[in-house]
Amino acid sequence: MLEFDGLHKSFGDVRVLEGVGFTVAPGSMFGFCGSNGAGKTTTMRIAMGLVRPDAGEVRWQGRPLDQATRVRIGYMPEERGLYPKMKVGEQITYFARLHGLDAAAAARASDEWVERLGLAARRGDQVEKLSLGNQQRVQLAAALVSRPEVLILDEPFSGLDPVGVDSLADALLAQVREGVPVVFSSHQLDLVERLCDSVGILARGRMVATGTVEELRRREAGRLLRVVVPDAPSGWAGTLPGVRVVSESAGDTLLDLTGGGDDQAVLAAGLRTGRVTHFAWQQPTLVELFREAVATPTPQEVAA
Amino acid sequence: MSRRTGPGSAALIRLVAVREIAARIRDKNFIISSAVILVLILGSLGLQVALNSGGEESRIGVVDGPAGIEQALEQQGEALDVDVTVGEVADRSAAERAVTDGDVDGVLVAGADPELLVEQSAGGSLEALVRGAVTQLALTEQLTEAGVTALDVPDVAVTPLDPDADADTQRVVVALIGAALLYGLLILFGQFVAQGVVEEKASRVVELLLATMRPWQLLAGKIIGLGVLGFAQVVLIAVVGVAGAIAFDVVDVPGEVIGTAVSVVLWFVLAYAFYAAVFAVAGSLVSRQEDLGTVVMPTTMALVVALLFGVQAAGDPDGTLATVTSFVPGLSPLVMPVRQAAGEVAAWEVGLSAVLMLAAIVAIVRVGGRIYAGALLRTGGKTKLREALRAERV
Repeated sequence: MLEFDGLHKSFGDVRVLEGVGFTVAPGSMFGFCGSNGAGKTTTMRIAMGLVRPDAGEVRWQGRPLDQATRVRIGYMPEERGLYPKMKVGEQITYFARLHGLDAAAAARASDEWVERLGLAARRGDQVEKLSLGNQQRVQLAAALVSRPEVLILDEPFSGLDPVGVDSLADALLAQVREGVPVVFSSHQLDLVERLCDSVGILARGRMVATGTVEELRRREAGRLLRVVVPDAPSGWAGTLPGVRVVSESAGDTLLDLTGGGDDQAVLAAGLRTGRVTHFAWQQPTLVELFREAVATPTPQEVAA
Repeated sequence: MSRRTGPGSAALIRLVAVREIAARIRDKNFIISSAVILVLILGSLGLQVALNSGGEESRIGVVDGPAGIEQALEQQGEALDVDVTVGEVADRSAAERAVTDGDVDGVLVAGADPELLVEQSAGGSLEALVRGAVTQLALTEQLTEAGVTALDVPDVAVTPLDPDADADTQRVVVALIGAALLYGLLILFGQFVAQGVVEEKASRVVELLLATMRPWQLLAGKIIGLGVLGFAQVVLIAVVGVAGAIAFDVVDVPGEVIGTAVSVVLWFVLAYAFYAAVFAVAGSLVSRQEDLGTVVMPTTMALVVALLFGVQAAGDPDGTLATVTSFVPGLSPLVMPVRQAAGEVAAWEVGLSAVLMLAAIVAIVRVGGRIYAGALLRTGGKTKLREALRAERV
């Protein structure tokens, strides 16, 4: 398990993290979402030892991370960074060596990743001569070359074209299949929804929601029911007990049942008006969940 | 999965150092600057040779010369410090041709009324030389005729008051050249260190590096790597310079010059450690190469001042100013070798100066390392020294 536990961090008077914690299981992908400035980068930098937390720690396999164990983590910082004048192959070899591979193993691993990421033809070129997309691949190779046990990637998909996104996604899924826990932050929620086993939403320095996308949906799903009754008169559901009408237009009605309303009573009332063409719990997209979670402090957040 | 624990400090520092060396020796600027320095050294040696061999020369032809005229001319040449070559010329017309063709500087047509044929005028010491020789010969002849064979002339003994003066001057000159060289190399390699630090900050690669090592390990590797290159260069220059000077006979006392060169090389090590740390700290404060100039300026100025004190010390090695500055850390590496060369420095003075310098290095590495660590991850704009010192160290 990769555990982020109770991280607190202030920069001067600005409290950036106020108790961030989540867990990533081996062989699973964790999507780390949050608005700009929510503290995602700070959280990841704490894991990499680049920022010292005021409280809390990050553990891998039950032991707090330190410099010796961090060499087993593959990291991609938000601000991409490579030596511009160093050759592609040598650069990847260098990072492999910094992560503890000996010269021969590092050279082998570098060759392998250069090959796998389609950079073989550019092996001897200086990094600055590569296109941005290819530089991004070198960056990924630098993170993966040492066969890391854990991957922590800050906005790995930003700046990639759709083809680049797909090939990076494939590379990450391959790592997950090998049992590596992968944490990545992203603003592309559709991507997070598609790739991640679990999701964490960070807002105002706290985790406002964590769990699988399904779990988050279910939590929200208990509340909104969408019923489409084309022949119903306006206000048809207004009198049902425990039901609040969120919106209604030409029979397309969104109902909030958190007050204890009975969904079957709603269906019966709908049928009394004529045809029911749609009756389902609203499946919120991650974007909606995200908006909801980030917009207002939830009760559980206040409790936390 | 493997339980890698990562390289130890020494291994990390070595990795960083090796990368620095590899990156630098492929850098065109480095290769060019090294070549230029070597060419300058060899060029100045060549110039020295040309100047030294610039003593006056005279080719003199003789027509019908009496016995002994050749020796007499050569003796006169020695006295006047002129390199004389004497050649026989058949007759007057051949002599005239030789003079007009420039084969000889002048021709002495001997006889009862000796005559000196020259092209335009008897330049330099030619006339005095020929006159002296002819007079001497005539005198000897007349004295012999008068029956005086042995002339008792008192010999003049020469007592040198400062037999080492020449050697001292040579050593001071070597030390001055050494100080100037140190200055140039310190600026060059200091700039390399600062540029390297900024490059890592500007390209943001530093964040990736610091995920695997501590800032001091990165700093140490960088300084040591470039230091090895700088040391190799200074040794190469010293060897080529000294060997060249000895081979071309520019210096008279090789042993002394070698001693001075060795002390310059050793002072380079101390000075480099000190200034490299300062340059690295300066570099860590900015995020773009364009801003580097302003932050390294104070350090560059300090080196200029140190060189000026070194030159001053060459003029007045025993003066108070030279003595004081030869103990001030940072200035001492460019002043002390010059004073040492002048030969009036006790061993304890050199030792004390070196110890002070070492203490300064320890201090600068500690404080500088803190600033460096605090400033590395602060990108955008210029970090103030105080901010960097207060920043947490990761």
